[in-house]
Amino acid sequence: MSVLRADGVTVKFGGLVAVQDVHFTVKQGEIYAVIGPNGAGKTTLFNAVTGIYAPTDGHVEFNGREIVEPLTGWVLFKFVCAFFAVGIFTLVGLNVETIWTAVIIDNYKFDQPFPWSVAATSWYSTIWSLPLVKNLLPLLIGGGIGVGAAAVSWSRGRRAPDHIARSGVARTFQNIRLFNELSLIQNVLVGMDYRMKTGFMSALFRLPRFYRERREFHESAKKLLDFVGLGDRAEQAAGSLPYGFRRRLEIARALGGKPTIILLDEPAAGMNPSEVVGLMALIRRVREAGTTVVLIEHHMRLVMGVSDRILVLQYGKQIAEGIPDEIRVNPKIIEAYLGSEDHG
Amino acid sequence: MRWRPGPIFIILALAALLPLLDVVLPPKMQLCEAVRGVFLYAILALGLNVVTGYAGLLNLGIAAFMAIGAYAFGILTCEIYPFQLGFWPALALTIPIGAFAGFILGAPTLGLRGDYLAIVTLGFGEIVQDVLKNLDVVTKGTQGINPLPAPTFGGSEWTAEDEYKWYYLFFALLVVTVFAVRNLERSRLGRAWFSIREDEIASRSMGIRVERTKLIAFATAAAIAAFAGGLSASVLSSTGEPSNYDFQISILALCIVIVGGIGSIAGVLVGALVMVGLNSIVLVKATAWMAANGIGSQGNVLLSPNNWKFLIFGLALILAVRLKPNGLIPPRIERAKQ
Repeated sequence: MSVLRADGVTVKFGGLVAVQDVHFTVKQGEIYAVIGPNGAGKTTLFNAVTGIYAPTDGHVEFNGREIVEPLTGWVLFKFVCAFFAVGIFTLVGLNVETIWTAVIIDNYKFDQPFPWSVAATSWYSTIWSLPLVKNLLPLLIGGGIGVGAAAVSWSRGRRAPDHIARSGVARTFQNIRLFNELSLIQNVLVGMDYRMKTGFMSALFRLPRFYRERREFHESAKKLLDFVGLGDRAEQAAGSLPYGFRRRLEIARALGGKPTIILLDEPAAGMNPSEVVGLMALIRRVREAGTTVVLIEHHMRLVMGVSDRILVLQYGKQIAEGIPDEIRVNPKIIEAYLGSEDHG
Repeated sequence: MRWRPGPIFIILALAALLPLLDVVLPPKMQLCEAVRGVFLYAILALGLNVVTGYAGLLNLGIAAFMAIGAYAFGILTCEIYPFQLGFWPALALTIPIGAFAGFILGAPTLGLRGDYLAIVTLGFGEIVQDVLKNLDVVTKGTQGINPLPAPTFGGSEWTAEDEYKWYYLFFALLVVTVFAVRNLERSRLGRAWFSIREDEIASRSMGIRVERTKLIAFATAAAIAAFAGGLSASVLSSTGEPSNYDFQISILALCIVIVGGIGSIAGVLVGALVMVGLNSIVLVKATAWMAANGIGSQGNVLLSPNNWKFLIFGLALILAVRLKPNGLIPPRIERAKQ
């Protein structure tokens, strides 16, 4: 069964075609590698998959459907709210002096009880006794701006990285992007954040469910740190970790959300040979724990050692796909990496 | 593990005991009234610390929310308006009103990055003053709204002479603010704020809803600032004129946060003591002392320490950034690294 499917994905930056018409399918429980020379568009492909860039063309499907936030009744309700909120704000803002005078000043006599019922109806008649340019027009124009802004921000956010991450696609970054000032366990907890349920009020008033949730997630964050072998450093700042461990922490953080699929962008970069061996074992354990793995890597021993299938990119185009043994002997790939004999 | 008092606890405990010191000090040197101002600015700066310290969004218009809180408190309590609520309900209402104002400013602008957001908030601060000045039907323009009622509790009223009662009222509200901010900081929400400050793209890729989280920070900061505004209006018994809430106040709050330690509650408390203390305690007392001993003269502007305020603010800021870039009391994880 396919977890991730790219269908004709193209990413252009102006005239530069970074990724062109890439098709691939990643099956459940697989370790899938994307390789290619520097600048081949591997990271751009990852960014297009995780929503950091919008693909110029093509589709990305997870579990058989494209991850875009659906246009639900709740979204439409928010648009209606935006219409009335901004519309009424504009209307009141334009006429605040008139309304205030009619409702408060005209009704209020010092030392006498305020006629609330009169005031509660007089705002309405005051507004509608104004000329249309001062009531209906601002309401419509303001409301239009409100709906427009809400619609634009909604459509921009439909394929946003946060939405894709929440659907179960986690990732790590080529240039490690940890939260350096936070401790290791807090980094993992950020990765778990969208699984948490308690909100502002339970944090502010420290309700029992806040403590329950905190205990629960701290325990599982500890377990995840143990899983990647960093359990004894939980309280240390992430910025103080040695380089090789930072990649592991990124993996732990990405696993925090219990993703169905995890994208690793050059996890072995900058690691020494023994760390690479440890990383290979970790990647296999991640797969055994039920997460499908897609990885970008230059380190051939790692790629050939762990991958089930390999996709090769060059100049943004896919030039081959297959199992490691096929890729190893494919002359096109040897050419892409080492150059052909003709060009010396 | 044995409980050890943290810096926040120590600072608050010292503040609680301060009135004892006043008993022994000569009347001219007494501190309580001036320290009230420290508490007020500490509350304001704690609000700013949420948005600038935790979420990393530079807000140069925090005074605007203080003004909104003060005027909301004024309109809700003053007898020239029909609402005439008491001190407590009106002060409580400044919180949602401030949060709403923060939401109004934040919702359309939080897509902006760094400097652009700072400029928008700066502009907002100026616009709010102008609106309050020109909307004199509602706000009484430059006169300000007064008189405002003093707080009452269990039948006893806070009068202008009850220095210690005011002191402990401010102290109690500061403690409440400290705990509220601390509870938010040490929660899922605080962690999300930190993660956005550290790396917005990474935190978005981890499924944090960045816009919503930033908006909550903005609204929380605005709510706390409005709360401080309501409190300041109450103690002055007037909202004062709109230009009381100008850019200087925003900058003072920002200085407190930077000098004390960005993102550190204890740091903000110490920062408030240093910055406001210099301004309204050391300089004022020094001026009084010099006048009493015949040093300096009314005619010479430079010889009156009261006028050194901005010189000292500038110096403090330069020294802080140069010598203690993480602030006097840096946040916890920063301390762990040193």
